[in-house]
Amino acid sequence: MSLLYPLLLSSALFGIGLYGVLARRNAVLMLLGVELMLNAVNLNLVAFDAWFADRMHTGQVLTLFTIALAAAEIGLGLAIVLALFRAVRTVDVDEVGR
Amino acid sequence: MIRRWGYVGITAVLAVVVAIWAVPELGRDTVTFVTIGQTGPDGGPPLPSLSPDLLIYPGTAQILLLAVGVGLLVQIYSTAYLGHHPRYRSYALVIVLFLIAMIAVVGTTNLWVLLVGWEVMGLCSYLLIGHEWESPVARAGAAKAFLVTRIADLGLVMAIIVIGETYGTYDIVGAQVAQSEQPRHATLIGLLVLVAVVGKSAQFPLHTWLPDAMPGPTPITALIHAATMVAAGVYLAARLFQLYADSQVVLTAMAVVAAITMLMGALFAWVQTDLKRALAWSTVSQLALMLAAVAVGDPEAGTDHLLAHGVFKALLFLGCGCVMLAVGSSALSSMGGLRRRMPVTFWTMTAGFAALAGLVPTAGFFTKDSVLHAIERATDGDRGLAAGTAWVLLVVALVTTFVTAAYATRLWVLTFFGAGHGAGPHGTLGQDVREAPLAMAGPLVVLAVATFALSVGQPLHLGTGLLSTVIAVAGVAAVLVAARRGSTLAWAPRPLAAELWLDRPFSRWILALGTGASRVVVELDREVVDVYPRGGESLAATISRGLGLAQSRNVQRYATVLAVGVVMLVVIGVVVS
Repeated sequence: MSLLYPLLLSSALFGIGLYGVLARRNAVLMLLGVELMLNAVNLNLVAFDAWFADRMHTGQVLTLFTIALAAAEIGLGLAIVLALFRAVRTVDVDEVGR
Repeated sequence: MIRRWGYVGITAVLAVVVAIWAVPELGRDTVTFVTIGQTGPDGGPPLPSLSPDLLIYPGTAQILLLAVGVGLLVQIYSTAYLGHHPRYRSYALVIVLFLIAMIAVVGTTNLWVLLVGWEVMGLCSYLLIGHEWESPVARAGAAKAFLVTRIADLGLVMAIIVIGETYGTYDIVGAQVAQSEQPRHATLIGLLVLVAVVGKSAQFPLHTWLPDAMPGPTPITALIHAATMVAAGVYLAARLFQLYADSQVVLTAMAVVAAITMLMGALFAWVQTDLKRALAWSTVSQLALMLAAVAVGDPEAGTDHLLAHGVFKALLFLGCGCVMLAVGSSALSSMGGLRRRMPVTFWTMTAGFAALAGLVPTAGFFTKDSVLHAIERATDGDRGLAAGTAWVLLVVALVTTFVTAAYATRLWVLTFFGAGHGAGPHGTLGQDVREAPLAMAGPLVVLAVATFALSVGQPLHLGTGLLSTVIAVAGVAAVLVAARRGSTLAWAPRPLAAELWLDRPFSRWILALGTGASRVVVELDREVVDVYPRGGESLAATISRGLGLAQSRNVQRYATVLAVGVVMLVVIGVVVS
């Protein structure tokens, strides 16, 4: 299988995630964008792991590592969003910043 | 009370020191130098040093004794008059400083020391006239006195510089010696000295500050009018007389100023409704008489009259203070009928008014007689002044004698005789109108005695003496007859009552000029000079507004810029490589 397809898919995912982080004003959706970007990276890692046929499967190990990290990150991020909502009754970042 | 007498003690010590120093010189014909520095009077001090050398001759000694004597009496008088004032302390000390400055002006041979004393006197008179600075009138009067006498200071400074440049010395005696060898620049020096004298001694056209200085405490008025300040002007004219005696221009100008001022002052004194202000105008008039004596070439007669005038004018002002304390006002309308209630003040002030009117046997008669005689001698025309000018001066002086006798009698009648209108609710004097305390009445008695004592040994000139006596008696009699016939003595034509509007240049035009000029300056500053700082300010504001657009406080916008930057870098990297 050509390396091109997963890379294209991961680039598209990353672009969508970046767009979500930069353009969305809702804090939850921004976290979702970050998550998309992380998963684009995961896809990239897995794709290259398969392409190089690495005996140690460094890419896959690193992917597991990233998934754990993403879980921790989303937990922390959602907790912050929750605390923010309790404090100011909104999750719109422009409203909060004002 | 003890503390107050401490200041009297300081003044008394000063008076005794001056007396020890000056009294032995009174009878002497020779001149005594007290050399304190390293230089003598003939060599002259190196230019332009402040030499502490002092020169005493009989005329100087008289004026020194007058200054400290009146100063001491004023100080004693003030313990009762102003002793409870919260600022009595500074008041009493400024009087001492005033006297020291006057001693410096009178005693020194060095023109710069004279200038320092002259300036310190201007400052002291400013401080003392404005002693009650809570009242705006006092503040205005003090500022006016200070500013108008500034013009005099300017004349004196320039006169000193011209004398120094002409004769190579700033020593009065040195300059006189050099002048007797070769006189130079007499007219210039004389005119500058005249400017100084006109300002300091309140002569036309700079006369308006003296009557406006009346809000000051009355003892201070006595001091300024009798012994210091205005006396310094006439003294300066007499002292430097030799330096400009040859210049007919100066003598004529001086005679014209004196003639205008003496008659004008006497007429203004007649129309006043305020005792103190009337006395102030009478000082202006009498100073002009002294200046006339200098102008006709007899400065000794001028300083003699200065001495007698100092004594009787101090007496009149201090008596005026007693009356003001009793009736609570200096307006003539609140006086009248005080003769029985205040016998000491009445009799002493009667002596003072007699001296002012020039009646025998007061000192005022004899010294005025000397001045008139000097003017009469000048009418032959070979004493520097043209005969015509001297004749005009003589006639004006005689008319002034008449007016002076008339207004002195008018003030005397309005203050001490009559029913005492306006003093009480029923047309009678209030119960609290009584004689002044001893500390105030005592100096009056001393000065009244001096008014007679000073006439001992004065020369008598029969012709002018008889003439002036007749004129003065006529003036007195005219007013007495008018008063007996029930006249209120309030004849005051409008131009005279408004003092010929001569104060207008000072109170309106110069003020308006100053206001206009400052308005132009403010406009210039606002419209021209301020353009540069305001331009810089708006430029900086524009730049920072532009820069501020980038700092939106929006983190997502920053992140967008960052992302776009990274993408661009990657693209560039790919394309270039």
